[in-house]
Amino acid sequence: MARESFDKEIQFLRMLVLTSGAYSRQQFAERLGISVHTFDKTIKRLKEIVHTVTEELPENQGKEFADMLRFSYYESSDPMLLFLYRAKSLKESESYRLSLILIALQEQSLTAAELMDVCSSGLPEDFPLPDEKTIRTDLKYLEEVGVIRRETGRRPYRYRMNNDLVTQLSEDELLDLYDFVDVMANTQVPSVQGYLLRDSLKKARKQKEDAQPIAEPFLYKYHYYSRILDEAHLYTLFQAIRERRKIWFVYFSPKSRTRYASKNTNPLFEREAAGKQELLLPLKVVYDHQYGRWYVLGNVPRLGIVKYRVEGLTQIEVGEAVSEEEFARKLQKLEESLRYSWLVDTGNPVKIKARFYHPEGAQTNFIKERVQLQGQWGTITEENENSFIYEITVNGTTEIKPWLRSFGSSCEVLEPSYLRREFIAEWKEIQSYYEPVREDL
Amino acid sequence: MNLFEKIFNYQVISRLDESGTFTLTSQERSWLKTMLGHPAAADAFPAETLEKLVTLLEQEETIEFSGLMEKAKSMEKQVYHPLLRTLRRILEKNQGIRITYCNKDGRINCDQSGFPYKLEYSMVKKEWYLLWYHRRHHLYMSTKLQNIESVHEESVPATLAEELTAKIEARLESRKEHAVIEVVRMYNRELSRILYAFSCFEKEVAYLDESDIYRIKVTYLGDEREYVLSKIRFLGKRVRVIEGEQLKQRMYESTAKALARYGVEQV
Repeated sequence: MARESFDKEIQFLRMLVLTSGAYSRQQFAERLGISVHTFDKTIKRLKEIVHTVTEELPENQGKEFADMLRFSYYESSDPMLLFLYRAKSLKESESYRLSLILIALQEQSLTAAELMDVCSSGLPEDFPLPDEKTIRTDLKYLEEVGVIRRETGRRPYRYRMNNDLVTQLSEDELLDLYDFVDVMANTQVPSVQGYLLRDSLKKARKQKEDAQPIAEPFLYKYHYYSRILDEAHLYTLFQAIRERRKIWFVYFSPKSRTRYASKNTNPLFEREAAGKQELLLPLKVVYDHQYGRWYVLGNVPRLGIVKYRVEGLTQIEVGEAVSEEEFARKLQKLEESLRYSWLVDTGNPVKIKARFYHPEGAQTNFIKERVQLQGQWGTITEENENSFIYEITVNGTTEIKPWLRSFGSSCEVLEPSYLRREFIAEWKEIQSYYEPVREDL
Repeated sequence: MNLFEKIFNYQVISRLDESGTFTLTSQERSWLKTMLGHPAAADAFPAETLEKLVTLLEQEETIEFSGLMEKAKSMEKQVYHPLLRTLRRILEKNQGIRITYCNKDGRINCDQSGFPYKLEYSMVKKEWYLLWYHRRHHLYMSTKLQNIESVHEESVPATLAEELTAKIEARLESRKEHAVIEVVRMYNRELSRILYAFSCFEKEVAYLDESDIYRIKVTYLGDEREYVLSKIRFLGKRVRVIEGEQLKQRMYESTAKALARYGVEQV
């Protein structure tokens, strides 16, 4: 069986989160490159998952899906999009069986034969009874993912839950662990395993503390939510890089109107895919904190260094490996080109000089604090009572420009002169947007 | 490593939930082991707990994030603060605080009675804040943990705790502001980038089919206005505030002052 791909769900959720309710069904489906029928089917499935995992059915029954996913900063610190990782399809009999095995093992360690008895008596009547081979396959899987472990000793082997990490801790220690996982998942990347672990620990705490509702003490101000969706592809990319392998994928540029194309096996329904088939030797995976977006950077023969946004990747397949020597050579070249990238620009380096003005009448110099915090490798060269000079060499001016502009009148670009002229022109144009306001004053 | 494991399947999870069973996978433990390598771990646990965790995770492998690079990241000056452990326990018990802290102007306020609401991490400033209610001054406060000299628990009856929480929440609700930001149509091709930039706020997007125009309605707290403004300036000509008088006015002032810096005369 082909590996289940979640491309459609990922693209679907991303569009839903970013455009929160902007499109009608028709428009949404069209932009995603799917039929309205598929749209309905996908939303139905995703809703079912959300309802099952959040147990919020009564409250949210009448609510629109997009509304439910609307990021409400003060209401919840649970990342709603995490449910994507709960989407793996499973036959109902299998999900029943796996649950029965785990519930039984939570109580005590058991052998395969004993677990077969548990399943035989526990499964609903209309399900086929599992044979020993099935149970052994289940146990092998659960052992592989690290959920259970085989106890040492003679045959028949006994299996038990692999939950020492939690059971060996006191309540107080578990609280510290929960907080640490919460903080790290929210402040570091990659984070999905952290969020999954946070979920598990939450359940463990609930169990230890007689299901008392646990108030979430922490808030994180300004998260880029959809970064969680891009993490779905990360481990394929990490693995390809580690093994020096190329990857195949179909790319949808974020600037194109369509985001997805179904891989149809029936030629009658086949249509021109809007994406492009690409082959890349991945070298770096870059997280851009400025927008909360992921990139994959690599090498393509004849083109050299190529950059893709991870959100545009679909149908990724790992291909053949290259020699260590080739990988090292290309990586070195990329690293050299990235040395002065504000984000991922590999253009020619240019030296930028800007004057930042201290805030007037403020108790803290929040401008300087921000420049020191966010100014990457740039340095402050001169300073007087009103202002300071910041200098940085970066590849091209495009990527640093929004950051400089975000300071508004607290930043004056001095060099290069063309950038200075661009800033003057832009401020004039932006001012023209607000001209009527002046008349009102 | 696969993030879409059968064991994470929603039906399995919900069945386990019903019976109070939980599971931990190797990849979750590996992630934890990797994170315990971060210097923040030393502030998060008493030494003996940290040691215990390291021993419990001995068999696990750390995750190799091959080729990972982070760009435009703020300097990470603080991920954990030693006071987090104390404060979160007071929050857990729904109790009050006696707090001595330093004001922005450096003045010290001794032994004030308060009620904590949440601990907030600013991803922008990379610092922790305590959000709390000043009982004598009836003020909603936000104090950097760095500026807290001392804090300890003060008993508060449950009914009062409930009242104070409700008060804080009502105050937060009343501070909410809205603004409508329009994507200037010729930049529709950059929509994805623009929406990403606003994806950290509570927002709704409207699409006007006939004119092919996108409007983003952003909801934020009053004291976050400056941050919203910096995002709007960040995007430059691509967006325009069409609703929200204060924002419009601040944008106008900002452009006038910026142009003055460049010596451009205003007509």
